[in-house]
Amino acid sequence: MTNLSRRVFLRQMVAVGFSASGALLLAACNQPEQTSVPIKPTAAPQPTTAPSQPARATAPQATATAQSTAVSQAKAATAAAPTAQSTASSTGVPDMVVAHGGDKPEELVNRAIQALGGIERFVKPGNDVIIKPNICVAYHTYEYAATTNPWVVAALVKLCLGAGAKRVRVMDNPFGGTADQAYAISGISEQVKAAGGVMELMTNRKFMKTDIPLGVDIKSWMIYDEIINADVIINVPIAKHHSLARLTMGMKNMMGTVINRESIHGRMGQRLADLTGRIKPALTVVDAVRILMANGPTGGNLGDVKKMDMVIASPDVVATDTYAASLFGIKPEQLDYIGAGVKSGIGRSDLANMKIEDITVAG
Amino acid sequence: MAANKSNPFMTPKRWKAARKLVQYAALLGFIALFLASRRGGWATELVNAPLRLDPLGMLANLIASRALLTGSALALIILALTVVFGRAWCGWLCPLGTVLDIASPQRKIQPIFKEPARLRSVKYGLLFTTLVAAVFTNLTLLVFDPLTILLRTLTVAIWPAIDRIISAGESALYPVALLQDPIDAFDKLVRPALLPESPLYYRDAALFAAFFVGLIALNWIAPRFWCRYLCPLGGLLGLVSKISLVRRVVVASECTGCDACARMCPTGTIQFGKNGASDPSECTMCLECLRACPRGGETFKPVIALAKLQPYDPTRRQVLASIGAAAVGAGILNSEMAARRDDPYLVRPPGARENNLGSKCIRCGECMRACPTGALQPALFEAGLEGVWTPIVLPRLGYCDYSCNACGQVCPVQAIPPLNLDDKRVTPIGKAYIDTTRCIAWADHRDCIVCEEMCPLPEKAIKLDETQVRNADGEMVTVKLPMVNRDRCIGCGICQYKCPQSQMGIRVFTLGASPF
Repeated sequence: MTNLSRRVFLRQMVAVGFSASGALLLAACNQPEQTSVPIKPTAAPQPTTAPSQPARATAPQATATAQSTAVSQAKAATAAAPTAQSTASSTGVPDMVVAHGGDKPEELVNRAIQALGGIERFVKPGNDVIIKPNICVAYHTYEYAATTNPWVVAALVKLCLGAGAKRVRVMDNPFGGTADQAYAISGISEQVKAAGGVMELMTNRKFMKTDIPLGVDIKSWMIYDEIINADVIINVPIAKHHSLARLTMGMKNMMGTVINRESIHGRMGQRLADLTGRIKPALTVVDAVRILMANGPTGGNLGDVKKMDMVIASPDVVATDTYAASLFGIKPEQLDYIGAGVKSGIGRSDLANMKIEDITVAG
Repeated sequence: MAANKSNPFMTPKRWKAARKLVQYAALLGFIALFLASRRGGWATELVNAPLRLDPLGMLANLIASRALLTGSALALIILALTVVFGRAWCGWLCPLGTVLDIASPQRKIQPIFKEPARLRSVKYGLLFTTLVAAVFTNLTLLVFDPLTILLRTLTVAIWPAIDRIISAGESALYPVALLQDPIDAFDKLVRPALLPESPLYYRDAALFAAFFVGLIALNWIAPRFWCRYLCPLGGLLGLVSKISLVRRVVVASECTGCDACARMCPTGTIQFGKNGASDPSECTMCLECLRACPRGGETFKPVIALAKLQPYDPTRRQVLASIGAAAVGAGILNSEMAARRDDPYLVRPPGARENNLGSKCIRCGECMRACPTGALQPALFEAGLEGVWTPIVLPRLGYCDYSCNACGQVCPVQAIPPLNLDDKRVTPIGKAYIDTTRCIAWADHRDCIVCEEMCPLPEKAIKLDETQVRNADGEMVTVKLPMVNRDRCIGCGICQYKCPQSQMGIRVFTLGASPF
């Protein structure tokens, strides 16, 4: 090997320097600011089964197709005209579906989504879908109810792929143990891969400072940019005990999409509402196949697990959380994030006025 | 390795190529096993095999721990190799030796100074002191074992630095939309298989790097300075080589005394003006001299005889001095503060403390590599000078993962016992204490509960007490105060790691002998 002369070395360094600055220039040109509202263009037309007047004008955040459903509806409604609420019920589609019974979680999900108007209501052909389960620790198998039921997640993966999604990724950012270990121990990795989905590790690089224009308490946070940029976010929490939030369900599950999450604890209710409003899951499916009654969110004691064989599905994450709370005998007013969610227009907690379809699946 | 000019296929050039091939393969194998010793990598018996091949580490461990580990019998392979081929380990296999070969200055082969032959005896002094200290259950000097040096430096300094450089490159290029997919694909390839999911930090990485760079820099004084003069493993194999079978032999009828071989010898054992005479204890069988000889007057063939004694061979005086040094050293270390009172933050890996880690640990750093969270760090003086570079848990850098028992599995000498996961989960390594002057709930009367949330135990060791307290302005406020049940606490340290209070509202302390 010939020795590298100083001249050649310097020449190469200059070349590297130029290409690096060229790359940065390119970056500056073709990348909108990460902190602004979602980058993805609003391409797809209105969904067929969904409400007739989704009030796009009053919901400037509504970008991806799925968000023109009830979530942004609710936001638009409170922002502009409260009368526009629950358009879904007027078209005969329930606001929320609770499916229970049997011992096949996959069947519960299929029936619930079907009753909700089918997955096509949320996922359009070619969509890039991210499913966000709760895989908070790498400690126990799914029977301990610390992580979302693998078959519930897998059922959603299959539905999305069936609806023509371009790809379906599943991810979470565990706080205890490494992510690959958590994916494996929870059993979610195996089922998702079998269903054709992709398990993706969340990397630090992709947490970007993101504006939360409608945020009340927080105006920006470090949020995972894949989550921000995906066409459709499906939120699949498990219902669990948590000492500060009391319960961790759909809104609390958004904690897995941000870093510096210990700081969310400061004023958790409003901050969770602000985050949820920014991420806007198109659909929330609460896994209540097994729920964790105590020692959450980490679990580890089968004595704390209660088998419910239930899933709760709705585009309205506040409503699913309200319903799931009732399984623990907790009223919505006892959960400050539900109050904050209603106030911020994320969703509703007045279950009595909502159209809720109850499905019993035969065992 | 018996090579001479009569063999038409294995020409001297090919012998050198073969040696380099073996060297690079061994180095790559070492690095591959290092990479695969991450939790979830290859079988632990495989990944720690290089350390169990090391006769010095295994012998010292055997002496100090007074226990024979069947796995350490692997070292007999290297001893047997040495009995047959002399220090071929050093020239053909040792990964540190290969690194030193690669990092040598190309031009100067000979020392820049007139070497004092006695310098070669330093390695024997180090060897004897290491082994005698082991009799006093002390293994501190194994920090100078070549395999532990390389593995430790890879773990603590080199690999984290590579990770950081790659991450910085990725982050810099990621904003370019065109490059995002290739970067993601690349990331998927290397993480978590080769690089950690999230960056790991190591204490005194720069110190380890400096030690290593210094060791390489010695090459500029003399090629393979480390191997010639200092390496205690080289000393051990050198002593065995006194009776080695295959040796370098100069055919007297062919030798013209041109000293071409002496000029090429990387260990400088071929002396000038001595008609090519060399010492089997110093010869690494690198076969460079085969190529150098213009007349093909060199050969390597079986010789049954004790090698000639050299002026730098260990003398009775040196052996006695080593015994004295080891005894005095052990005495001094045993009268250090650390021998009487544990440092309050001396948190050991699971089961290691009860297992008498100090007299077993060979300082290889394999456990630190295996630890997925970066909790295991090289100790400085927490365990006294004696315990330097033994593993210690630093919860501010990482926590002991509730579903991981990798350190005990990967330890080549069972200094960290190979606990199964169920046993590891109930083995306390320390106890957490809340600092009520800093805890957000206790000191500032604001709800936080992060420690309780993080506690991995099925029945949490941290409980919350919802209490009315008077704040600094005299108002009564309700706050959830965390409290630790230390009967349950296993000291995993995730509470300390995640504590949002940067001055730490909760800390894990060493397990003390409780008076109660």
